[in-house]
Amino acid sequence: MLFNSLTFVVFFTIVVTLYWSLHGWELRKNLLVVASYIFYGAWNPPFAALLFSTTCMDFWLGRQMAKAQGPHRKRRWLVASVCMNLSMLGFFKYGNFLLQNFQWSLARIGIVYQPPHLDILLPVGISFYTFHSLSYTLDIYRGVLQPTRSLRDFVLAVSFFPQLVAGPIVRAGDFLPQLRHPPRLKAGQFFWGLALMTLGLFEKTVLADTLLSGSADRVFDYAGPLVALDSWAGVLAFAGQIFFDFAGYSICAIGAALTLGFHLKDNFRFPYAAIGFSDFWRRWHISLSTFLRDYLYIPLGGNQVRPFRAALNLVIVMFLGGLWHGAAWTFVVWGLLHGSYLVIERVFRVLFEAKRWASTLPVRVLAGFATYAAVCVAWVFFRASDFTIASRMLGGMFGQHPHGDAIFTTRELLQIGSVTLALIAMHWAMRDDTFETAIMRLPHWAITVIGAAMACAVIFTQGNSNAFIYFQF
Amino acid sequence: MRSSISSFKERLRLPRLFFRKPSREEQIHGGPPLEFERPIPPAPWRGIAVVVTIIVIAATTAWELYCRSLGYGPTLNDNEDLWTLWRRRVAPESIVIIGDSRAWFDVDLDEFQKGLGKRPIQLAMAGSTVLPALADLADDKNFHGTIICSVVPYLFFAPPGTPPMERAEKGIKRFHNQTPAQRVSEYLSMPLEEHVAFLKPDDLSLEAFLNQLPIPNRPGALVPPRFPPYFQTEDRERRARMWEKCAEPGSELAKKIQQIWIPLFTPPPPPSYVPKDVFFAQMNEGIQKRFADVTAAIEKIRSRGGKIVFVRFPNTGGLKDLEDRITPREKTWDPLLKMTGAPGIYYSDFPELSGFICPEWSHLSAGDSVEFSKRLVPHLRAALKM
Repeated sequence: MLFNSLTFVVFFTIVVTLYWSLHGWELRKNLLVVASYIFYGAWNPPFAALLFSTTCMDFWLGRQMAKAQGPHRKRRWLVASVCMNLSMLGFFKYGNFLLQNFQWSLARIGIVYQPPHLDILLPVGISFYTFHSLSYTLDIYRGVLQPTRSLRDFVLAVSFFPQLVAGPIVRAGDFLPQLRHPPRLKAGQFFWGLALMTLGLFEKTVLADTLLSGSADRVFDYAGPLVALDSWAGVLAFAGQIFFDFAGYSICAIGAALTLGFHLKDNFRFPYAAIGFSDFWRRWHISLSTFLRDYLYIPLGGNQVRPFRAALNLVIVMFLGGLWHGAAWTFVVWGLLHGSYLVIERVFRVLFEAKRWASTLPVRVLAGFATYAAVCVAWVFFRASDFTIASRMLGGMFGQHPHGDAIFTTRELLQIGSVTLALIAMHWAMRDDTFETAIMRLPHWAITVIGAAMACAVIFTQGNSNAFIYFQF
Repeated sequence: MRSSISSFKERLRLPRLFFRKPSREEQIHGGPPLEFERPIPPAPWRGIAVVVTIIVIAATTAWELYCRSLGYGPTLNDNEDLWTLWRRRVAPESIVIIGDSRAWFDVDLDEFQKGLGKRPIQLAMAGSTVLPALADLADDKNFHGTIICSVVPYLFFAPPGTPPMERAEKGIKRFHNQTPAQRVSEYLSMPLEEHVAFLKPDDLSLEAFLNQLPIPNRPGALVPPRFPPYFQTEDRERRARMWEKCAEPGSELAKKIQQIWIPLFTPPPPPSYVPKDVFFAQMNEGIQKRFADVTAAIEKIRSRGGKIVFVRFPNTGGLKDLEDRITPREKTWDPLLKMTGAPGIYYSDFPELSGFICPEWSHLSAGDSVEFSKRLVPHLRAALKM
């Protein structure tokens, strides 16, 4: 079920009404579990059974781990949980990818092998809910979480519908405590939640789908060489599209959770105003970057090791982060590019951070724009379905096709330019801010007008229920 | 100097938990109350919500009235979910209409039911090529019914990757992969579309208005083709009827649509990155492959006892001249019948089918579609040996 669909509007209205009408907290939690499974089953009902079975397994493994005596036994249960979750993810998401690469490797040494085609359907949001569930056993192992006694609570923590299929990745340790006491219905919190949902839908349907996605698709689907202007415009359009699409989903999820009395943390914090790549990853898909930091980067030694090893750790984390997004080498290259950006940044910091000029405003602004440009270059690999398209795009962007085609209409160029400028200006203006503080500074009439304008724009845009980009991950 | 993070933290007024490692007790499920709470900006939210609701209702009503004043009325939108709804209803012995918008506009289901003894299922899709639907029926092992297939050669032979092919494939894909949520969405949106005039994404959405902005284009820009505005109503059985406003003699709307058909039916120039001879060789190869694919699909249907008849529906005026020039009958229709061995009904071969005028050159008016269907039925019965 998509947030930007009529089905969701009806579903959400029924769930919220029932939820606040019920008196018992246990009843409300049961309602949320049923609603979450309906929400998920509305894509493909059999996959709801898969979600339930992996959740039950982690619940059981968590209990076994807590009961286990000694670190070795605990570790055994952790390995079982990690293997179970990752093998499920591996089979559904990477099965065909691994087979294709195995076939390719054999062909390099002269062995012809035709693997059977596995007609595997990817369960929606498997990467997200696997991480929701995995965080539970990982935190029990780390000793920062005790296993919950209630299977129902854990099932709800993993499947809570606002964040189930495309994040934010909510750790069990952040969600389970919220299930201890029933939230009270607070008008401010409820309506602020609705306002966030409106903002999220506005970002998705108006900005991402209507103003940018068509142009990005046109450029990445074009089979010929493009001039630099069109190539850059297409990449900027995608950079805006993916931000509005994913941040829009996250804001919707946060808003929907708030209307039900739950608090989810921010997943984006004006990333296109980042100065440097470590800053970028503190602002982009925060729930994933902190997950990778806490459960992968730090266990690998983080930066408490020799510089070369620390750099290698960064590259390993970003490589896996890239692969998490999709079973394709283009995603791996995207991750590796970000890994190398982080390493280069670290070298720059060692060399220049202490210099006085390094913290002057012009240098910071320049570094910010360099960060944005490099992130856009990396987006090419994220969006392109293969390396032919990626290299053609990069060729266009860096002037290799001066006589290539210019396909965008003037209106499209103006549209991409104005949305991108507004996006970057907004991010820079609010880079040390949050929506909440920005809203606090606005007069009430302005909040009303902006809210009404966004709601009207969503209605008049008549979005065509395009799926969110991150659903495929 | 204070760090940017600490000032950031103060400005956000976010709780401490967000910025420091929580203590063991704070993180354990069953420990002290959760510290993290999203900040809620202090504002009179209830009042704001009421005013926003009033503005949205007022703006939506005003927009609806404005759209109705432009001549738009409530009607269903033709989309892949509605198509899927009917594709699901195809029974083993159904009569199915497939093809392009001419079969969609020009066929009256009541007349066909009277004449053929069974109510056909309308699966023709505007601006689409027929192969995906035909191949899908051919692959449906249960199907051994009758297919009435409209042929507009320019669409019939549209190569893969072009909008007519993508439109048809989208419908088939939705039929095979439709989620329960999409199915429910269609049932929910139908009553809305039947009562609200502005729900027309192709004409009255933000994107449609942006596309119409009069901004001159730079040279060489690949301007997307312009499609005709809404000029039909559609019911829950996917029966399209031309608006009376369009069917009126000398209608401005009809004239506007006529001028849209001409560029839409004119083949685009070869892309700059493919040599011309290679391009034309590929096109020719594509056409031969289309003949072969259609023949193979028909063979499959016939082997199960199914039948098919091709129909060329009327076209008139400048569009007829253009179609006759770019897709002449002897290079499209005649070889199609010859290769497939299927019967065909070309409207101009029969005086009783020839006298109709298409107001916008491509489709019959609602009234004429009933009469045309009545006259077409005996030919269909003869061709299908019914």
